[in-house]
Amino acid sequence: MNIQEYIESGILEEYALGVLNEVERAEVERIAREHPEVARELNSIISGLDAYAQAHAITPPAEMRDRVLQNWQQAIRQPQQPAAAPLSGDGSSATPRMVASAPAPAAAPVQQEAVVRQLPTQESGSSRTRWLVAASVALLLLSGIGNFLLYNRLKQTEANLEVAQTEQSRYAATQKAALNERDQQLSVLRNEAFRAVELKGTPKAPDALARVYYNAKTKAVYVDVRNLPELPTGKQYQLWALDNGKPVDAGVLATATATGDSIQQMKDIASAQAFAMTVEDEGGVASPTLSTMTVIGNL
Amino acid sequence: MQRLRDRDEGAMTIFYDKYSAALYGVILRIVKKEEIAEDVLQEAMVKIWHSFPSYDADKGRLFTWVMNVCRNLAIDKIRSRQYRVGSRTQPIEESAALRQAAEPSFRPEHIGLQEMTRQLNPEQRQIVDLLYFGGFTQSEVADELNLPLGTVKTRARAAIKVLSKLIR
Repeated sequence: MNIQEYIESGILEEYALGVLNEVERAEVERIAREHPEVARELNSIISGLDAYAQAHAITPPAEMRDRVLQNWQQAIRQPQQPAAAPLSGDGSSATPRMVASAPAPAAAPVQQEAVVRQLPTQESGSSRTRWLVAASVALLLLSGIGNFLLYNRLKQTEANLEVAQTEQSRYAATQKAALNERDQQLSVLRNEAFRAVELKGTPKAPDALARVYYNAKTKAVYVDVRNLPELPTGKQYQLWALDNGKPVDAGVLATATATGDSIQQMKDIASAQAFAMTVEDEGGVASPTLSTMTVIGNL
Repeated sequence: MQRLRDRDEGAMTIFYDKYSAALYGVILRIVKKEEIAEDVLQEAMVKIWHSFPSYDADKGRLFTWVMNVCRNLAIDKIRSRQYRVGSRTQPIEESAALRQAAEPSFRPEHIGLQEMTRQLNPEQRQIVDLLYFGGFTQSEVADELNLPLGTVKTRARAAIKVLSKLIR
């Protein structure tokens, strides 16, 4: 090896400046051991740079001394701190270590450690803050959405309840009215003063059957249909009382009465010996159409 | 040094008194801001304390070793800081130029420096500063200054030779 060429290659300067990787550094040290000339040159370079550094000396502010020494003491008492991580073996020699930007792939771990130490402390703090802010916002949003949904459901439930209550009171009213009616009908049926008149089918409708309850004292008339032929549209059954052979209008039957669903109170009749029903136009007529007589019965 | 080796904490006070000026001067020259320089010095002392057992006195002077610990920490600091503030996109010439421009004002301690720099021509000084305070490799300096690598190597060698002659 040409020693002079090696010395002039600039590698000794790079060694002293600390930009060589581990392998290159070991190689320089090996050659320096073998060649006193190289070692001398290397020492002279290092001394020159040390002197240059020394020439830049600035006495730090006096108050810094206590601060630095105190913090240092604190730091070394906490061996788990990242700052306390020891240098790797190669960094311990007089050889400067690689700086972070050196292009060689074998970057010294100590250098990376130094960079890494800076970032996490700063960024973990701010990233935790950022995380907290993000979480708070997310929670707030979720809570807002939750409130909105619950509010909507509450409104809907209230509306449903109102409908149910209306329905219920209407049903109760209907039932009460129906019950009253049944009670009344029951009292009619049980009342001794009422006489039941069987109205039987005429030859036109032999299966037809109805019953009239007549109270001669109160003049009240009730009709209870068992079976009547179905009516064509626009027609209604009309009840007649026959008083001394003269027909007296006792009112028309409601559909529910005609189908046998309900007992119906008719017009009051002062006096009657027989009852009959005819089919008439809706709303009833003044005098019966005898040809349509369906049922008839005597007291 | 023996006390450092014995893990005598009091030795660090002596260490501080002996080396802090040189270390602080170089750190400050690199990081520019006094409070950051203090942080770096602090950090460096912790590092030096913990890795002292692995320091091999046969391989070089303690001064060289501790100076390099400080220099590397300081260079990392400015690089990570530049990275953090997102000024990485800044052209390297610009950042280097900024560093060059921020020359410390005159201080009595700089008499040695003034004598030294009188011996260096401006080109040599620029290269040494980029190499020593900027953490640049010689080829990075060549890129930065737009010079052939050979020229940079020659100038760097010549400059360092001047420096080592001065102390002899």
